[in-house]
Amino acid sequence: MEYTFHWRPVFRALPDLLDAGLLTLQVAALSMVFGVVFGLGLAIIRLNARGPLLWAASTWIELARNTPALFQLFFFGFGLGAFGWHLSPYAIVLVGLSFNNAGYLAENFRGGFKALPPTQLRAARSLGMTATQAYIRIIIPQVLRIVYHPMTNQMVWAVLMSSLGMLVGFRELSGETQFFASKTFRIFEYFAVTAVIYYVIVKLILAMSRLLAMRLFRY
Amino acid sequence: MEQPINFFSGFSFNDLLFLGEAAGRTILISILSITIGTIFGCLFGWILQVSGTAGAVSVGAFLDIFRSVPLIIQLILFYNFAPMIGLSLDPFASGVIVLSIYAAALVANVARGGIEAVGRPMRRAARSLGMSYWQDMRYVVWPIGLRAVFPAWVGVALGVMKDSALVSVLGYVELLKASQILITRTQEPFIILTVAGAFYFALSYPLSRYSARLEERWSQ
Amino acid sequence: MNFAKLALTGALMSAVAVPAFADKLDDVINNGVLRCGVVLDFPPIGYRDANNEPAGFDVEYCKDLATALEVDHEILPVTWAERLPVIVTNRADVVFGGTSDSLARAKTVGFSIPYAIYYAQAVVGKDTGVKTFEDLKGKRVAAAVGTVPEQEFLKYAKEWGTEDLYQGYQSENEVFLAVAQGKADVGITTNTAVKPIADQYEEIIAGPRMPWTTDYTSVVGPRKDVTWLNYLNLFVTHQVRSGRYQQHWDKFVGGEAPELRIPGVLY
Repeated sequence: MEYTFHWRPVFRALPDLLDAGLLTLQVAALSMVFGVVFGLGLAIIRLNARGPLLWAASTWIELARNTPALFQLFFFGFGLGAFGWHLSPYAIVLVGLSFNNAGYLAENFRGGFKALPPTQLRAARSLGMTATQAYIRIIIPQVLRIVYHPMTNQMVWAVLMSSLGMLVGFRELSGETQFFASKTFRIFEYFAVTAVIYYVIVKLILAMSRLLAMRLFRY
Repeated sequence: MEQPINFFSGFSFNDLLFLGEAAGRTILISILSITIGTIFGCLFGWILQVSGTAGAVSVGAFLDIFRSVPLIIQLILFYNFAPMIGLSLDPFASGVIVLSIYAAALVANVARGGIEAVGRPMRRAARSLGMSYWQDMRYVVWPIGLRAVFPAWVGVALGVMKDSALVSVLGYVELLKASQILITRTQEPFIILTVAGAFYFALSYPLSRYSARLEERWSQ
Repeated sequence: MNFAKLALTGALMSAVAVPAFADKLDDVINNGVLRCGVVLDFPPIGYRDANNEPAGFDVEYCKDLATALEVDHEILPVTWAERLPVIVTNRADVVFGGTSDSLARAKTVGFSIPYAIYYAQAVVGKDTGVKTFEDLKGKRVAAAVGTVPEQEFLKYAKEWGTEDLYQGYQSENEVFLAVAQGKADVGITTNTAVKPIADQYEEIIAGPRMPWTTDYTSVVGPRKDVTWLNYLNLFVTHQVRSGRYQQHWDKFVGGEAPELRIPGVLY
C-alpha cells in the first residue's frame, strides 16, 4: 500500500464536524415534523377527498415516492430557480426532505387509518365529538402508534438523505466534511470519520425511539 | 476558417440522445446491482435466519453498517479506498459493487422476513411429510415466503434504482449526471430536470403500482 | 500496518499485479495512453462544446502533452472536488484543472511549475449594485466547492459575520446559473471566465477583482513521482518556448497570455 494516512488534521476538524452533525440532526428532525403534518394531511385527503384535491395529493405522494431524492433536491434548487423562486441551501434540503418524508409517511398513515375499524370514528361521533375532535383525539393518536416503527425508519432515512445536502451546497455533516476534505483532498480520512458519526447518530435515534416507545406505549 | 467558439448552446436533439444513453446506463447499473444484491441478500437473509444470535451479531451487524451510513458516503469511501489496496476500479465497477452490497443489506432483511413469514407448524408439517430441509425450503418456504415479501422486495429494488443516481458523485454519467451536464451547458434547468424526472417516474411508478395491487390481492 | 491488512494487500497485489516501482513516465509511454483529468465547467479553459465533447485551453494542453509523449490522450471529466482524488487514486496520470498550488494540497499531490496564471474576479447580478470588494458584505456570494476562492472568501465572510450568506456549488457553471437566476448576488470565479459569462447572460455583469493573491495554477501529478513532475515542468516551459501557450491562450481567452513568473522568486 503506497498510501499513507493523515489522520491528525481530521481529528483537529472533529469539533466542527460534530457541530455539522447537529445541523444534520436539526434539519432531519424539522423535516420529520413537516413530513408528519403534511403526511397526515395527504393521507386524510387521499382517503376522503375527490376531484382536484385528491389529484394534487396523489401527485405529491407518487412524485415523492417514484423519483430519486437527489432529483427532488435539484428540482427545489435550480428547477424552481428558473421561475425566480429562490431557496437557500438550507431551505432546499429542508423543503426537499419534508416533501419526500410527507410522501412516504402519507402511505404509512393511509395504511394506519385503514387498519382502524371504522366503528371507532362512529363511536366517537356518537359521543358528541365533532369530526375534527374525533380525528385529533381518537383516530390520529392510534394511527401514530400503528405507524411508530415506520416513522422511526423514516427519521433514519431523513438523516441519511440529508447527506445529499453536500450536492446542493448545504454544509451539514457531509457538506462540512467535503469542505474540510477539499483543503487537502484527504478524502478517505475525512469521510471515514464522518461515516462513523452517521452511524452513531443513527444508533442514537434508534435507541431514543425505543426508549420513547417504552414510555408511550406502556400497556 | 475556424468555427466561432461557443461555450453555451441551447438544448438540441443531440442532447435528447445524450440523455437517452445516460438513461440506459441508469437501467444497466440498476439491473446489475439489484440482481447481484438480491442473490447475496437472500443468502445473507438465510444465514441470519438459521444462525440465530451468532448470525445477528456478526452478519447482522455487518449488514447494518450499510443501512446506517449514507450511500453517498459509502460510494466515496469505497471509490477512494479501492486504489489503496491496488484495485483500479472505474466509477461503473465501483458503483456496481457498492450498490450491490447496499442492496444485499436491504434484501437480507426482506429475505429473513420471508422465511420467518412461513409458520413453524407449516414447516414442521412439511418435514413430517418426509421432505428434506432443502425440499422444505424449495417447495414450502420459497413460494409462501416470496408472496409475503415480494412487494417489500419491489420496494427495495425501486429504491436501489433511484439511489443509483448517487453514483454520479463518482463521475459515472447516468441520467441525473447527464442532466446536470446539460443544465450547466444549456442553462435550461427546468426542461431538463422535467425530462429526467419523468423518466424515473415512468420506470418506477408502474412497478410500484403493480406490486401494490399484488399485495392487495394476496392479502385478501 | 497490521498483519491482516498486509495479508490482504499482498493477496490483492498478486491478483491484480501492479507494477510496483515503475516510474509514471515509463508507464504512460508503455500504456500508450495519457489519462488527463480536466475540469469541464470552467469556460473557456475547460468546457463542453455543442456536441458535449470536451474543449478548451486545458483540453488542448492535454493533447499537446500526449503528442509530446507520442501516446493517445483520454480526457477524464472531473469536478472541482474530484480533480485531486483522481490523482491519488491513480485514475488519471495528470490533471489540467486550473489547480492552485497550495501548500495544503501539496501534502497530497505533486505540482509542476505554474502553467497558467489567473486572478479571482466576481461576476455580479446587474441590479445588485456591487462595484467594489467591500460591497460583497451582506450579499449572497456563491463559489464552487473545494476551490481557493471559496476558502479565501470565507475568511473575509467570517470576519464580516456573513458566512451564512455564502453558497457553495458543485460546479462553476452552477455558480453562474445561481447568479443569473438571482439565487446569489455575486459569483466568484476566475478572470478568464468573466467575459464569456457576461456575454452569455443578460443578467450578469463583470464585478470587482478579489483582494487575495494571484492564482498560480499548476499541472498536477502523483506526489511521489518526481521524475514525472520533472517532465511536466519541462513540458510547461516548452509550451511557452514553442508558442503553443500564447496560441491556445489567444484562441480561448483572447489577447496576450500572462507571463509565467512569480515576482521576486527564483524557481
